[in-house]
Amino acid sequence: MRAAAALLLAVLLSAAPAAGQQSHLIVVSGLSGEPKYADAFYDWATTLIDAARERWGVPEANIVYLAEKTERDPGRISGRSTRENVERAVRDVAVRAKADDQVFIVLIGHGSTRDDQSRFNLPGPDMSAADFADLLDAFPTQTICFVNAASASGEFIPALSGENRAVITATKTRYERNETIFAAFFVEAYAGEGADVDKDQRVSALEAFNYARREVARAYEADGKLLTEHAVLDDDGDGEGTSEPDPQSMSEGRLAMTLFLTGQTASLLAGEAPSDPRLAALYGERQRLEQQVVELRRRKDEMDPGIYERQLEDLLVELALKTREIRALEEKEQ
Amino acid sequence: MSRVARSRVAFPVMLVLSVCAIATDGFAQGEIEAAEDALRTGRYEEAISLFSDLGRRQPTSARAARGQVHAFAAVGRYADAEESARRYTKANDGSPELWNALGEVLYLRGARDEAADAFGTAIAAEATDALTARLNLAVLRYDRGERAAALAELDGFIDVYNRSRGLSSQELTAVGTAARYLGVEEWRLYKDALRAYDEAIAADPGNLEPRVQVGELFLEKYNSADAAASFADVLEINPNHARGLLGMARRMRFDGEPGALDLARSSLEVNPNLTAARVFLAGLLLELEDYEAALEESQKALELNPASLEALSVLAAIRYLQGDANGFQEARRRALQLNPQYAGFYTTLAELSARNRLYFEAAEFARRAVELDARSWRGYALLGINQLRTGEIADGTRNLEIAFDGDPFDVWTKNTLDLLDSFEEYDETPTDRFVIAIDGRESRLLSLYFAGLAEEAYDRLAALYSFRPQTPVRIEVYRNHADFSVRTVGLVGMGALGVSFGPVVAMDSPSAREVGGFNWGSTLWHELAHTFHLAMTEGRVPRWFSEGLAVFEERRARPGWGDDVTPGFLTAYLQGRLLPVAQLNNGFMRPAYPQQLIHSYYEASLVCEFIEAEAGPQALVDMLTAYRNGMTTPESFQAVLNSGVDDFGDRFFAYLEERFAVPLAAMRPDRETQHGRAPTREEIEEWARDDSGDFAAQLAYGHILFEDGAYEEAVAYLERARTLFPAYAGDGSPYWYLALIHRQNGALEQAADALSTLTGINERDYHANLELADVLEELGDPAGAAAALERTIYIYPYEAASHARLAALYWQTGELDKAIRERQAVVALDPVDRAAALYQLARAYFAAGDTAQARRTVLSALEIAPGFEEAQDLLLEIRARADGGTR
Repeated sequence: MRAAAALLLAVLLSAAPAAGQQSHLIVVSGLSGEPKYADAFYDWATTLIDAARERWGVPEANIVYLAEKTERDPGRISGRSTRENVERAVRDVAVRAKADDQVFIVLIGHGSTRDDQSRFNLPGPDMSAADFADLLDAFPTQTICFVNAASASGEFIPALSGENRAVITATKTRYERNETIFAAFFVEAYAGEGADVDKDQRVSALEAFNYARREVARAYEADGKLLTEHAVLDDDGDGEGTSEPDPQSMSEGRLAMTLFLTGQTASLLAGEAPSDPRLAALYGERQRLEQQVVELRRRKDEMDPGIYERQLEDLLVELALKTREIRALEEKEQ
Repeated sequence: MSRVARSRVAFPVMLVLSVCAIATDGFAQGEIEAAEDALRTGRYEEAISLFSDLGRRQPTSARAARGQVHAFAAVGRYADAEESARRYTKANDGSPELWNALGEVLYLRGARDEAADAFGTAIAAEATDALTARLNLAVLRYDRGERAAALAELDGFIDVYNRSRGLSSQELTAVGTAARYLGVEEWRLYKDALRAYDEAIAADPGNLEPRVQVGELFLEKYNSADAAASFADVLEINPNHARGLLGMARRMRFDGEPGALDLARSSLEVNPNLTAARVFLAGLLLELEDYEAALEESQKALELNPASLEALSVLAAIRYLQGDANGFQEARRRALQLNPQYAGFYTTLAELSARNRLYFEAAEFARRAVELDARSWRGYALLGINQLRTGEIADGTRNLEIAFDGDPFDVWTKNTLDLLDSFEEYDETPTDRFVIAIDGRESRLLSLYFAGLAEEAYDRLAALYSFRPQTPVRIEVYRNHADFSVRTVGLVGMGALGVSFGPVVAMDSPSAREVGGFNWGSTLWHELAHTFHLAMTEGRVPRWFSEGLAVFEERRARPGWGDDVTPGFLTAYLQGRLLPVAQLNNGFMRPAYPQQLIHSYYEASLVCEFIEAEAGPQALVDMLTAYRNGMTTPESFQAVLNSGVDDFGDRFFAYLEERFAVPLAAMRPDRETQHGRAPTREEIEEWARDDSGDFAAQLAYGHILFEDGAYEEAVAYLERARTLFPAYAGDGSPYWYLALIHRQNGALEQAADALSTLTGINERDYHANLELADVLEELGDPAGAAAALERTIYIYPYEAASHARLAALYWQTGELDKAIRERQAVVALDPVDRAAALYQLARAYFAAGDTAQARRTVLSALEIAPGFEEAQDLLLEIRARADGGTR
């Protein structure tokens, strides 16, 4: 247990993006089949792209959007989402990306199964999980967040699972073939409010996954339908996804919680080191207090509830005062 | 066939009328076969004639004599049947062949001792049907309470089967019936019974007796589909088979299908002296709360067979429900004198009491059944079910488990036990007068609202009735309608939304239905009103009055709650399809057409309104008192309203005509489209233009114009429809479309008026309330908007955004307690952003001055998100208030 806690703390410490670390975003919108899907795929893709650029500061140059029909939005769509273009886009990003950059690849569309292989449907030849696995080999050092929001996508987990990779699929297996709505809520996590559950002013891939999974379930329930898509996440490289990743109690989720859509020009975010040494020291103290809260929370079940609550309150008050101090100094500097 | 330990049984006794096909010569084989074919296929008069002719020509023919006896018995001519059997026995001194047939007829007429002697003679003289006589004698002895001897004898039939080869169809039927009796000791023997019956059918496909027995066995084991198939087989061969018709009627009642009463009467047309059919009919009539007719049938049954335990049981139930203690005691004395171990007496009382909503009594009767007979599995099941209904969950569960061990075929018991297993996932929230059991997945949300409304209802109803039912009342709320259905009737498929057993109310959760499917608030109020009515009258209130009064109470509780007048109701009135007040109970107990039940609810509520209007509110309470005192509906009307129920009914219809004069004039019940198709747009337009007083045409054409976007033109038709039927706020009401048009035109006040009227009538319109909240917010009326959103909670409480919005509105209006409740609701809905929801709740607590809760809650928010700056600030504020300053 001690080892696990130490590992978690190490992960938390690494949650802050390294200086100069950037995100790259490739959004591939597949074959729609019907106008209503074409509209939905377009809306979801552009919403994600706009949020990445405008809200989270991902540079325009780091965003690639491939879609079924380029004429729909030539200003934003980089090219047609053919297999050839997808491969080219991924290789181009692999060339551009720095060693420690984060690369988000998001597939929005329909999936299917043929010859016992999960496929993502594209105009022209489809791409299988194995095809994408080959492509990802182009990123030997970068961290990957691969999201297949299509139906029948579950098989992408074992195919793509690996070190420094978080793989998210809208369905648990290739047998969940009904159309999915996971993409709608995954996108909403970045574009809307409510996904930033730890209130650190960012939305991690883990938070986006949890948000989307919960909202999908709620939407099905509200419609009185049986849930036909069970999203899963794998980021510990074991090739098995889980629907409820919990970094506190399992390895699953620890990488995804460190993955953010971000860019160099983004405003100062929690966890990033400021240039003022006084402020930097305060930030460090605040981070230490936050880590103490995490550590205390981990021991909650072993503690007397009264003692736990007192210690928690003491830490939180200290943290609140530290935040106040930081704010005052920041305001003074402005 | 298996051999098992055995001791006793509790079947309704059905002696086997044996048909032995022993060749009797002296006439052509074809002649007797023709007579038997006539009997088998239900051409009874022909059969009687043919057998009589054969008997005259050959008085020594036992086969002809037996056929004649059975033909007479099939149409209920028991005296002729007896006389025929006796004549043969006398004429053929020394022949034992007709003694069993004579015994069977005597038994049907209640002459048990003589029947026993006759069976004994057949057995002793080794008649060809001696095995059947053995069965009949064993059944008779069992029926007299001589169980040990009877069961020992019945057990011997298993040996007969195991040792013998080539048993006849009649003998195999006897074996099956013996196994069926023994099944109470060991349920696996029911399967052996089926096997024997199947072999009996295979041995002689023309022998209908085993088919009837199979049908009855399936029905007793709750398998209506197979029972229906068996009875259908019988009736296909013999459409006049009285017991086949009766079996099918029982099956229909089991499945809740209409027509059971008529089919039972059909069986009596074939055999007016079929005691079992009279008893069944009496039970049905008792369920319909028609005590007099039920009494008449039970008395007829006893005239036919004074020793009928079933008839005496139903008679006792009628007497009990009528409050006739002496009559009840007399019936009980007679029944238990005939069979001191007859648990069926009490299970019948328990079943009929429960059907008449006397759940405590039902449990008590069932308890006596199991005291009398420790193997009365039905008794244990009834005891358990009714204990659950009266809130004794642990004891009820225990007794159901006993019942299930003894009779695992009882699907009601099994379903209920499965349901009880799921209770582990329920949270029980105690309040002052209630225990509210809700599925753990939604209990934190729903208990916020159920508790307050239930307590409010209790106080309000207690004041109205000057009566306080025993508490705590248990409220069970089911997420799954099938579970609610099982809790209520033991089976899935019930259509109701809620039910009150008195101390226990069971109902659908709002999540069990689609949005707009029902208003859980009015449903809860309705069922709690029943709890008062049942307690006040000790269960003696008739269904029509209790339902009418409960709907009336809904209406008194909140504007818009309760059923509303509909075009269908008014049309039914114009077509003479509304029931007179004196017959209104039939609309609940045996509706004649699908909508009659719904119309009857509304009509009954109007009757209550009219009673109040004529005689004041106390009259309604006095009516309940009259029912408690055992009065019938006519007696209650006379005593309380000083009016005959028919006179009252006439005045009531006059009141209806006056009250609904305007919309009644706007109904066009005779308008029919050609060929039964939906009218075309052109037809609707023509009707609307030609007849400005036609509500349906004005509304329909208004819809068409609205869909076309011709809003200005649509308004004229919609306004006309509204004027013609101002109380109509159902689907597609003019108010909704007018509101949309007004809002689009920027006429917010008018839109608000239309929506306020709509939501003030229709209790289920979720979207209209949301729309109204939007409009009122735009108009700067937060209190009005909050009221509209508050109404949505009674329809669909699962939208976190609505709760958050409502909390904000209550914050504006300064109703902080309600703001807290709404923030609690958001947290209960388990939002993804739980920290934010907790923070908002903490703010509400803090604003309301509840520093302790605010502190705890904000700590919970920060425990999830330590870096949540707004929550950090709030924590410091709370500490400052508590400590008198920050650290």
